[in-house]
Amino acid sequence: MPAKVALKRNPKKNPLGRVFAGNIGALAIGLKYFFDPNRITLLYPHEYIKLRQGYRGFIVLIQDKCISCSSCARICPARAMKMLSVKVFDKRLKKEMVKKFPVINYNRCIFCGYCVDVCPTEALYHVPYHDLVYMNMRDMILSLEDFQKEPENISAKEGVPIRYVFDEKRGLVKLRQEEKVTAQPVEQTKPDTTKQQASNPEPKSINKGGASQ
Amino acid sequence: MNVWYLVYRVIIDDIIFYPPVYQYLIIPGLIAALLVALFIIWFERKAAAFVQMRYGPREIAPRIGGAIQLVADLTRYALQEIIIPETVDALPYILSPIVMIILALLPLEAVPLTSIRTYFPIPPDYSLLIAVALSTLSPLFVVLMSWASNNKFAVVGGIRESFIITAYELIAVLGFLSAAAMTQSFNIVNIVNMQMSGKWLGLLNPIALLAVFIAVLMSTSGFPFEIPDSESELVAGPYTEYTGLLYGLNMGGGYIKRWVFSILIALVFLGGWAPYKPVPGIITGYFIPSLIVSIKALIVMAIMSFLRSVYGRYRVDQALGIAWEILIPLTLAAFGLGLAEAYFGVI
Repeated sequence: MPAKVALKRNPKKNPLGRVFAGNIGALAIGLKYFFDPNRITLLYPHEYIKLRQGYRGFIVLIQDKCISCSSCARICPARAMKMLSVKVFDKRLKKEMVKKFPVINYNRCIFCGYCVDVCPTEALYHVPYHDLVYMNMRDMILSLEDFQKEPENISAKEGVPIRYVFDEKRGLVKLRQEEKVTAQPVEQTKPDTTKQQASNPEPKSINKGGASQ
Repeated sequence: MNVWYLVYRVIIDDIIFYPPVYQYLIIPGLIAALLVALFIIWFERKAAAFVQMRYGPREIAPRIGGAIQLVADLTRYALQEIIIPETVDALPYILSPIVMIILALLPLEAVPLTSIRTYFPIPPDYSLLIAVALSTLSPLFVVLMSWASNNKFAVVGGIRESFIITAYELIAVLGFLSAAAMTQSFNIVNIVNMQMSGKWLGLLNPIALLAVFIAVLMSTSGFPFEIPDSESELVAGPYTEYTGLLYGLNMGGGYIKRWVFSILIALVFLGGWAPYKPVPGIITGYFIPSLIVSIKALIVMAIMSFLRSVYGRYRVDQALGIAWEILIPLTLAAFGLGLAEAYFGVI
């Protein structure tokens, strides 16, 4: 049985009644929000949205897994990724040889994630954050060493993680990450990334200078 | 010692609490009006933010809700360079905001804020009539400033302002004078004394209060009727060519006008200094009653500012339609209601 479309009749036919009901209804909603505010603005530097693991943020290379197939550089639609010839010591063949490794130019990168998807050995992966400031354009072209480090999650250091939940009574509600109902796998990945960031102080200074500008 | 005591008495009694100076400059006047404007602008932004699920001003002082934000804005306006464009008519351009503020505060000189004879600024026999008459002066200078600006936005804003003036003045005057019809007196002291028993005229004649409330919102470009300086249509209306402190004066001018009307509403409809009976003495006879009136007016103004967050803006023709087709019959009805109440001795 198909659902019937019920047309709701406007109960306020009388124009005077419409004026009063409309005004009083508007004022009542306004007063409700005035005395019980539900504020959903993200106060960005003090709060940030904690993103899930699948988010396409910055890209990091694991050099040991890379087989130098150049698929990532070939598929890159923005030509952000380039292969770089580097002299390395190959462990399996036990000799010094020239191999090609990808490096990335964040001036061009559109964070489409094709390189991560196409990589046959999963040598590339995303980190779930994307807010980072560089002091100049040259810093955005990463070297092979920088490409292997996870960039620092500066908003996690200064802000409080926030998530938005749809509540049946109040609509969209802003909550802190801790006050949650269901367990989530996001928590497990977060601490070890922060530990890694703490170990390398070099990009930290860059980020701080950029953020204060 | 004696000399200093005399100097102190002169400063306190004859300068600060000299009624024309006190009422024009200190408690309902300039200083209080500026403080109230600062508070009300902050409150308006904050209330609108609460209703629209935002935070409002916060970043300067998060613990007190960004209350110092307006001080920062005022400092900025005060320190900004005042640019006078070449094409404006310079003398009216500079003078009209200043004269507008001066005239906007003038009705405060006409109203008594206490029932003690020594603290009347003028003889209060026709004070309601004089105050209402004086309150109609300052909008003329908005029209003058829009004409002097020589700017299309300003001229359109000035035309709208003149439309609105002609629409609201009759409502405001008739609404206030319905109080005179109820009490058979233009004397605000008499009007307040009649409300001492708790029968506020706003409760006895709510139609007049509503009409005056809407007329005040309309006259001071309060939000549902923010027509002369509607930001999305005309850049800033009559104030388009102004910069710096002169623009700040214009922005504050609307709030000062609203403050003066709120004082009048508090005196006439909301009982003035009603629960309190003035006792001779500077503090008990003059300071406290004026403070009570100011607090009532502040509450009226806060309600007016709160409406900003609820209503959308009316068009010019809608606002004029409301004024001429609905509010003027309503005000006449309020006048008749007042006469009827006076006739049947309700008051």
